[in-house]
Amino acid sequence: MSYRDTMPKEDVLALELPAVYESFSYRKYSMAKFEEYSFYSDHRKFLPDAGIIAFNNSDGRLMALKPDITLSIVKNAKLTEQGCARLYYNDTVYRMREDTHDYREIRQIGAEALGQVDAYTQAELCYLALCSLAKIDPDFILSVSHMGLAVHYADTLPLSHGLKKQLIRFVASKSLHEIRSLCEGQRLDPEITERLCGFSALRGTLAEVLPALTGLCVDQTMREAAKELAALERELSGTPYADRICFDASVINHIDYYNGLIFQGSVRRCPFPVLSGGRYDLLAGRIRARAQAIGFAVYLDGLNLYYPTVTEGDADVFILCGEDTAGLLEQVRALTDAGKTVRVGKDPNGVRAGQILRYEEGKLC
Amino acid sequence: MLNIALPKGRLGDKVAALFDSAGLGCAQLSDPGRKLVFEDTGQGLRYMLVKPSDVAIYVAHGAADVGVAGKDVLVEGNYDLYELLDLGFGRCDMCIAAKNGYVEDPTRPVRVATKFPNIASAYYRSINREIEVIKLNGSIEIAPLLGLSDVIVDIVETGATLKENDLRVCEKILPVSARLIANKASYRFAADRIDRMSQTLKGALQ
Repeated sequence: MSYRDTMPKEDVLALELPAVYESFSYRKYSMAKFEEYSFYSDHRKFLPDAGIIAFNNSDGRLMALKPDITLSIVKNAKLTEQGCARLYYNDTVYRMREDTHDYREIRQIGAEALGQVDAYTQAELCYLALCSLAKIDPDFILSVSHMGLAVHYADTLPLSHGLKKQLIRFVASKSLHEIRSLCEGQRLDPEITERLCGFSALRGTLAEVLPALTGLCVDQTMREAAKELAALERELSGTPYADRICFDASVINHIDYYNGLIFQGSVRRCPFPVLSGGRYDLLAGRIRARAQAIGFAVYLDGLNLYYPTVTEGDADVFILCGEDTAGLLEQVRALTDAGKTVRVGKDPNGVRAGQILRYEEGKLC
Repeated sequence: MLNIALPKGRLGDKVAALFDSAGLGCAQLSDPGRKLVFEDTGQGLRYMLVKPSDVAIYVAHGAADVGVAGKDVLVEGNYDLYELLDLGFGRCDMCIAAKNGYVEDPTRPVRVATKFPNIASAYYRSINREIEVIKLNGSIEIAPLLGLSDVIVDIVETGATLKENDLRVCEKILPVSARLIANKASYRFAADRIDRMSQTLKGALQ
């Protein structure tokens, strides 16, 4: 049995994932637990809807416990004009639960490339996402899409902002019947309806879907998006995880945040995505002029529930002793030095031990 | 094994009949007795019968891979799920209803009694109208009669209950019917199977 069996999954990943990122020269980025509240309120639209924990600093400034890591990295990372900073983090954020409105501490690990992001950097970061998923569970899928496809197409349609958002929600929920109903209700060209349904229904490995996907593109932005996915497919086809990447148009995340490639990772055991990321030039460019960025976060929160640790009991040996414990510690040490776990007590009830020994007259029996 | 959460009760009977006609049912589905979980090992399907309003919760938390739930429940709960198919039955409308002769007073917020506070709030927000929500769990129709609320937001099938209680539909705000839903993560690992099931059910509906 190894530490992977006995340690909580969250701790195993916190131990193993940094080495993956460091092997690609990603540097650890550490930050304070709080920042000025005004920074987060200025970029509220990039944050989850739930509340921020704010408090007054001793000098009167309003501070906030970090609700998001990426924002802090984009603001504070040192960038050069032409270069691309490669960073990873292993930190906590503080958010409110949408259902109970209780605050909770969430541990996140992630990697970010920030500055000038080229095709190689994009493929490298996706590969790191694949490696991260493989560390969580070998039975995983990375679902990828691009904001320049269905989301961009919906944005070009002659619909109100509210209806466009609704349409994007229907694409994200694979509700072809709702897409048809909305398009028919707005008297859109049937070709538009079929194109949107075509995107929503398309699924498979990138190599399988690319011809059909390219056929659905009607403008330069969409064709560029399809080309980016084709380039990604070429780059990743030689990796051991090529068959784990699938196109899925329902992968749509924060539309004010992401602008290009977008992806989500799932493992068979968990009913929620365990990794999420993509290209977020919209956010990066707003905080740092001309900055481009791509990154992902691994959601460690909740994994322990689906990967229970193996417990073999409380101790290998339980030593039942009376009032006279003289010399007992030496006996216990001999056992622990031999690799056994030992518990000493007067009552073995409720203790899961492989063996129970009695300590009497200076001897174990 | 594919886990399917199905609603008990009146909607459940229709769902059982549909699954049966699509060749996806099993004998116990039509006559489950008191049993709530049963399997068709031949088809690799495990069914669980739950309260209609809980189906989406089972699917969202991954206890079931797919399920059948009403659109009202899905919109109210705002679950992050796939909604793959409109099954077309259990058809009704989410409506605003009020006592016959009710005239809205625009100088104050509308008092709304409902089992669906999120749907009611979202609708009134969309028309920029301030409301006071009164969350009830049943017999909503009685609220305007006793002066507890001005209007109700509730599902209306035939309108007979409203009529018997001297109420009328003021506005339909959401068409409702039963939907085939799937957990997003489960779908990614069983997409072929779930899509096949969806197509089979669609075929049986035609």
